[in-house]
Amino acid sequence: MNALSIGVAAALLVVILAAPKFGLLARWKRHRAYRAKSRSEDALKHILAWQHRSKLASLESLAGTMGLRPAAVLRVVAGLQTAGWVESGAGGIALTASGERRALEVVRAHRLWERHLSDDANMPMGKLHPAAERAEHSLSRQQVAELDAHLGHPQHDPHGDPIPRPDGTISALNAVSLNEWPAGRPALIAHLEDEPQAVFRQILLANLRPMQVVRVAESGPNHLAVEIDGRQHRIERSTAANIHVREIRPQDALPTERTRLSDLVQGACGEVAGLSPDCQGLSRRRLLDLGLTPGTRVEVALDNTFGDPRAFRVRGTTVALRRQQAEQVLIRPFPSSDGAETAP
Amino acid sequence: MNTEACDSCPAHVQMAKMGVDIANCDHVVALAGNPNTGKSSVFNALTGLRQHVGNWTGKTVTRAEGAFGYGGKRYKLVDLPGTYSLLSASHDEEISRNFLLFGQPDCTVVVVDATALERNLNLVLQVLEITDRAVVCVNLMDEAKRKGIEVDVRSLSRDLGVPAVSTVARTKEGLSDLVASVAGVACGETKTSPSRVAPPAEVQEAIDGLVPLIQGMAPGLPSARWVALRLLDGDHKVREALLSGELAGLADRQRQAAPLAASRIKAIAGAQ
Amino acid sequence: MTPVSVTPQAVLDRSDELRRGLDGSFRDSMVASLYQRAGELAGRSVREQGAGKWDFDQRIDRILTSRWLGLPVMLLLLGAVFWVTILGANVPSQMLANGFFAVEAAAAGWFESMGAPWWLTGLVWHGIFRGLAWVVSVMLPPMAIFFPVFTILEDLGYLPRVAFNLDWLFRKAGAHGKQALTMAMGFGCNAAGVTSTRIIDSPRERLLAILTNNFVPCNGRFPTLIMLAVIFVAAAVPPAAAAFAAAAAVVAVVLLGVCFTLGVSWALSRSLLSGEASAFTLEMPPYRRPSILRILYTSLIDRTIFVLGRAMLTAAPAGALIWILANVQAGGTTLADRSISLLEPLGTAIGLDGVILLAYVIAIPANEIVVPTMLMCYLGGAMMMDITTYEQIREVLVGQHGWTMLTAVNLMLFSLLHNPCATTILTIWKETRSARWTALGALMPLGLAFLVCLATAQAVRLLPL
Repeated sequence: MNALSIGVAAALLVVILAAPKFGLLARWKRHRAYRAKSRSEDALKHILAWQHRSKLASLESLAGTMGLRPAAVLRVVAGLQTAGWVESGAGGIALTASGERRALEVVRAHRLWERHLSDDANMPMGKLHPAAERAEHSLSRQQVAELDAHLGHPQHDPHGDPIPRPDGTISALNAVSLNEWPAGRPALIAHLEDEPQAVFRQILLANLRPMQVVRVAESGPNHLAVEIDGRQHRIERSTAANIHVREIRPQDALPTERTRLSDLVQGACGEVAGLSPDCQGLSRRRLLDLGLTPGTRVEVALDNTFGDPRAFRVRGTTVALRRQQAEQVLIRPFPSSDGAETAP
Repeated sequence: MNTEACDSCPAHVQMAKMGVDIANCDHVVALAGNPNTGKSSVFNALTGLRQHVGNWTGKTVTRAEGAFGYGGKRYKLVDLPGTYSLLSASHDEEISRNFLLFGQPDCTVVVVDATALERNLNLVLQVLEITDRAVVCVNLMDEAKRKGIEVDVRSLSRDLGVPAVSTVARTKEGLSDLVASVAGVACGETKTSPSRVAPPAEVQEAIDGLVPLIQGMAPGLPSARWVALRLLDGDHKVREALLSGELAGLADRQRQAAPLAASRIKAIAGAQ
Repeated sequence: MTPVSVTPQAVLDRSDELRRGLDGSFRDSMVASLYQRAGELAGRSVREQGAGKWDFDQRIDRILTSRWLGLPVMLLLLGAVFWVTILGANVPSQMLANGFFAVEAAAAGWFESMGAPWWLTGLVWHGIFRGLAWVVSVMLPPMAIFFPVFTILEDLGYLPRVAFNLDWLFRKAGAHGKQALTMAMGFGCNAAGVTSTRIIDSPRERLLAILTNNFVPCNGRFPTLIMLAVIFVAAAVPPAAAAFAAAAAVVAVVLLGVCFTLGVSWALSRSLLSGEASAFTLEMPPYRRPSILRILYTSLIDRTIFVLGRAMLTAAPAGALIWILANVQAGGTTLADRSISLLEPLGTAIGLDGVILLAYVIAIPANEIVVPTMLMCYLGGAMMMDITTYEQIREVLVGQHGWTMLTAVNLMLFSLLHNPCATTILTIWKETRSARWTALGALMPLGLAFLVCLATAQAVRLLPL
């Protein structure tokens, strides 16, 4: 009896340990493989980032960024060397041509995934980076290609960073930090740096988003007063260093109106001027499919107890939208609700 | 008369794969339309079935099927989920679109709400991008009348290039016209030449660049233009269908079925 | 003809290349050109004279969704539906019960006179038939009234307005406003409610709707709530206000269910199903005049007969099972008494008793048979003829079996929260294809029901009330 139960327990233990897919051993092996892959890819990214700043990475810089002990870093770099992806010289560690290609692939997966999370899953800006840090190591080339096509081959990630192309090229950012931009001249936000997280949160709190027009109203020694959407915000210079801006070009096709559908009061009418540039992917398609294309007449039809959502009259139908979506529809308001008809 | 031939014909093999039982049926008719246009009422009125008709968007969550007879022929009617568009990636839209593309129904009835024609025509135009064989059913004419809206169905039909019929499905008004039009299109008696929306010039250029390749890969594919557009748009499902060879298979079936369809038309013409 | 001159991959590569050459706003301009063409076509074939009807629709909507009246009107409508149901179902229920039990007595007598063995008479008439009789008389009248009335609201187009009014709350809970529509479907049947969650596109929010649909009391559970409301709440107020009080009690339970739905959605949104609320667009259809004949047909044939049929399918074997439990002895006591005394401590701890828990175990296939099972267990071999009105049932429960207000309240809570019926669990599995979510959907409500009932029972016992 006793022997039997010991036998059964032993068999169970063996199964739990060694089952081909779900066994602890197999899980542990998978985990090890994933960890090795993610470490070497993170190292490649770090070396690439330093090269973009015209610096060479070192064992110390790697250990610092990745939070690893020197021995572990040494193992990672040795692995990269065997794969022919890096060369270490006197000044530090440099990427080989194939190593740079590989690093850009990882960056590409990361930024496309951020785009996907933002466009399709509506994830807020602050949560994109950590999620993409995990996903970038497990996406296959095939998956990345499909994602790219599905998203319509986007050129920038939600922060404004350029996405590397499949052939391994990447366009330059061509933007300067907000600190260097002359006061008074309007600029377009090209990029928001998402690391360190604490600074990024400050930027998000000030409601800054890529593709917004910003104007430095006042330039102090430690802070800037910037104007966005007619509202002024005070930003520390250290924060402004993480905001990159560029000249507004005619092909940006920016809507000049500042009124949004969410600003209209009940009974008011307007004409759709366009959709906000930061509304992308599925949510953009939804709004377009509702018929909210430029030139369409919209009327605020219904409020409810909580003031959100509200219903709008569009092309002969009544459609309810949450505030978050109504904010993304830019509007040219009609002077008064009666008598003003849209020109065809 | 040629049901036996039909059972073995490849288009019907595909239908069976999509879960539509087409035994004892001569033609397959798809029913598309925006939500809340009385699509279920049309379905009930045509098939005599009693699917529940609720007044809220997305009520029909499962695909319903029914049948009706006309002129000695049996028609299978497949009720697709109500959608506003075929472009987004939602589950409903994918079901409708896949059925139109891969199911290749003999006729597609697009039910539109006469009181909000502009909004509804968006879907009609998209359906006409995929298939030539369509009939537009302008429903809820009674409600439109109450709201002081008049719809000139003849002019609409002329502009769209496919038959348009005005109906009041709850009182079965106009349904016999609808069935006659469906029969005409399904049998190929009514020639349709759907109006296609001209895309912006640079998009047209890209389409022109891609269509020859698609036709080279799958000669005779009926909606190569639409497939090109969807590929440019990065449509996941269409990409997959292309890679898996499903699209090429569709084109093969189309070629094999063509002589059969011609013989069907001849047989009908002879009988009359 | 060349066999395959172009590979699919080549087509894809070319399309990706061409796409990169296109402007970023390519999709926008495609949709815009479709709508522009649609506008032209509509402009040519539509003639409009004024917009009288739309104004009328809008006037109604301004009341039904207004800042101050929107929610009260919603509660009032819900209350009215229950009030009509309670008021109308009382007498027919009694008449059905009287009729059925007269048949039972006569048929059992006839069996005996024919010399049938006692166990056959008992199993067929006091087991199977009695189970069916209870289910039909308790279920049929409320359903036959509730379904048509509710379908009228549905066909008018009121349900999307409810979703519109409540969306803000759902958004705060991290859920989708269309969940309100799926909950409305859940009133009829939770399995149908779970299927209707397909209208929610976001998988995360759809799962929330599936997992919490159970907190809407379905038609199988209404009779329990109505019976308790009539016996315990209505009896405490003057007869003139009885039906109002009962309806108010049911509305209160439903509201509590909504609170649980929102609370559980909120908790899941911050734990297992973490994420943000996705986009929400909802069409508000114009009001339509419902066609009465069709409503009667769909609500009576499709819904009532369907649900009742399913209930009867489980009631017949359940009736037989109860009769066997009550009549087969092991070690001097019947099986029923044994299982009841086994469940008694647990039942008492959560303010219920062993019989109620046994009824819920037997009723796992369908909630509809909870009340019939309970009554059959309580009454044992007593003649049914005597127990047909609510007053008589009250007499049995309070007088003979020691029910208190706590028992009633906790049974209402337990009925609202406990695990979904087998059909719903199966539907959850079909919709999610995941054993994990199905298990959660079944066990989470059960655990919650035990916890809440335990809490109220302990609170009432500890506090000097």
